[in-house]
Amino acid sequence: MSGREFFQKRYEQIGWKLKEVNLKQAIRVNQTYSKEKNLVNRLSGLGLHLEKIPFLNNGYWVLESRVSAGATAEYLLGYYSIQEAAAQIPVSLFSNLKGKKVLDVAAAPGGKTVQLSDLMENTGVIIALDVDKRRLNALGNHLERCHVANTVVYLLDARQVSTLKLKFDRILLDVPCSGNFVTDKNWFKNRTLKDIERNAKLQREILTKAIDCLADQGEIVYSTCSLEPEENEVNMDWAVKHLDLQIQEVDCYGNEGLTSVFGKQLDSSVRLCKRIWPGETQGFFVCKLRRSKKDESKGNY
Amino acid sequence: MKAKAITNFLSGLGVPLVINPDLVIEKNGRYYLTNPVLKQIIRQDFFYAGVFLGKVKNGKFFPSFNLLTMISKKGANRIIIDKKSAWLFICGRDILVKGVIRILGPAKKNSNVLVVNEFGECLGFGKIVGNLSNKERSNDVAVQNVSDIGDFLRRER
Repeated sequence: MSGREFFQKRYEQIGWKLKEVNLKQAIRVNQTYSKEKNLVNRLSGLGLHLEKIPFLNNGYWVLESRVSAGATAEYLLGYYSIQEAAAQIPVSLFSNLKGKKVLDVAAAPGGKTVQLSDLMENTGVIIALDVDKRRLNALGNHLERCHVANTVVYLLDARQVSTLKLKFDRILLDVPCSGNFVTDKNWFKNRTLKDIERNAKLQREILTKAIDCLADQGEIVYSTCSLEPEENEVNMDWAVKHLDLQIQEVDCYGNEGLTSVFGKQLDSSVRLCKRIWPGETQGFFVCKLRRSKKDESKGNY
Repeated sequence: MKAKAITNFLSGLGVPLVINPDLVIEKNGRYYLTNPVLKQIIRQDFFYAGVFLGKVKNGKFFPSFNLLTMISKKGANRIIIDKKSAWLFICGRDILVKGVIRILGPAKKNSNVLVVNEFGECLGFGKIVGNLSNKERSNDVAVQNVSDIGDFLRRER
C-alpha cells in the first residue's frame, strides 16, 4: 500500500485534492539579536527582496535574491534563520515563554530550538534532545551562530526523557514523522502505510513519556510535517482518550483538524487542531494540549 | 583553572577575562559558559550547553564566534575593514593593507587582532603579518585570516 495513486486517493477521502506545490523560501528574523526593519533594509541592499508573511510575526518570504539567503554576512551573524513558513508556527503557539523551562524533543537541526530561545529572549532553560549525533553537530552550529545561551543539548531518545528528572513548563513535540511530498521528491516512491503506522506508534510512545515530565499548568505543542491522519488527528484523538489531555484552541494559519477519518469518528475536540495542506507552505499539523482539569487536580494531591 | 586557555587567548587580544570562571564547564576540550540556572540542572553527559566559548586542540585554543563577539564589545584589539574586504574575509581570504579603515589597539606584528566590519560586527580574527598603515604597499597582506564566520558554512559541507 504505497505509491502516488494510493496516497492521492487517501487525501481525496479526507477532502483534499493533490496538487503540485512550489515551495517558497522563508526566513525568520531573530528578534533578540537584530532589529527587523534594519535587517530587511540591509538584505534589500544585497538584492534579497522580502515580503512579510501575513500569518507569522517574524517571518518573510524570499521573493527574489541575487545572493544566497544562507550565505550572507547577516545570516552568518545570526540575525535570521532560514525556516520554512509552516515550520515557524508550532513554537508561536506557546503562551508566555520567558523564563520558562522548555523541552524540545527531536530538536536537530535546531530551527525551532533557536526560535524558542528567541521568544524566550535567552531566559529560562531549553533542554533539547536528539538521537542522531551528526545532526547534533548541526544543532550546535545553529545555536552558536544565533547566540543562543539558554540551551542544554543531550544525545538522548525522547522516550528516555524521564531520566533527566525535570518537570517542564512547555514541551515542544515536533516528533519524527513521515514527512510529505513537498519537501521530498521521492516521497510517494519511498513511503508505505506501514511506515506511517510505525511512525504513529513512535509518536504515541514519545507523547506518553513526555506527559510524565509536564508541570501542572504546562503546555504541549505537538506537530508533524506529515499529511497522514494516523500521525496527526488520530494520535490526538488517542491522546485525549488515553492520556487525559485536552486540546486547546489555537489562533493560527491552517484548517480545522479532521474529526472523521476513513470512516472513523474522532473526538469532537480534534477539530481544534490545525491541519495545513500544502499550498502557500509545505504540509503541517499542529495541536496544543494541556492536562485535562480533573487530571491536574489529581496531580496536585 | 578551567578557563586558563581562554584567559591566555584573551590577554593576547588586550582584554581581561570577561567571564566568570565558576560558570565555565569543559567537556572533551570544548568550553561552555553556563549561568547559575543552567549549571544547577546540567548533567555530565551533555552535548552542548549555554554559550560555546571555544575548544582546545593540540594544546591550542580556538575561540568560538560567540567569545569573539563578546570581547569585541569589551575593547579587544581590532581592525575595522571596508565592505569588499569584509566579504572576502568571510570567504576565507586575508586582508590587504588597503582594506583596513581603522586600527584600534597596538597592532603589533605577529599578534592576533579581531576583524570588524563597518557596522562594528565581529567577523572573526586574524594574525597581523604586515604593516597595517603602510599605504605605499596597499596591496600587501596586512592580516592573515585565522578564523571567520564563513566557517559556519564550511562546517556543514
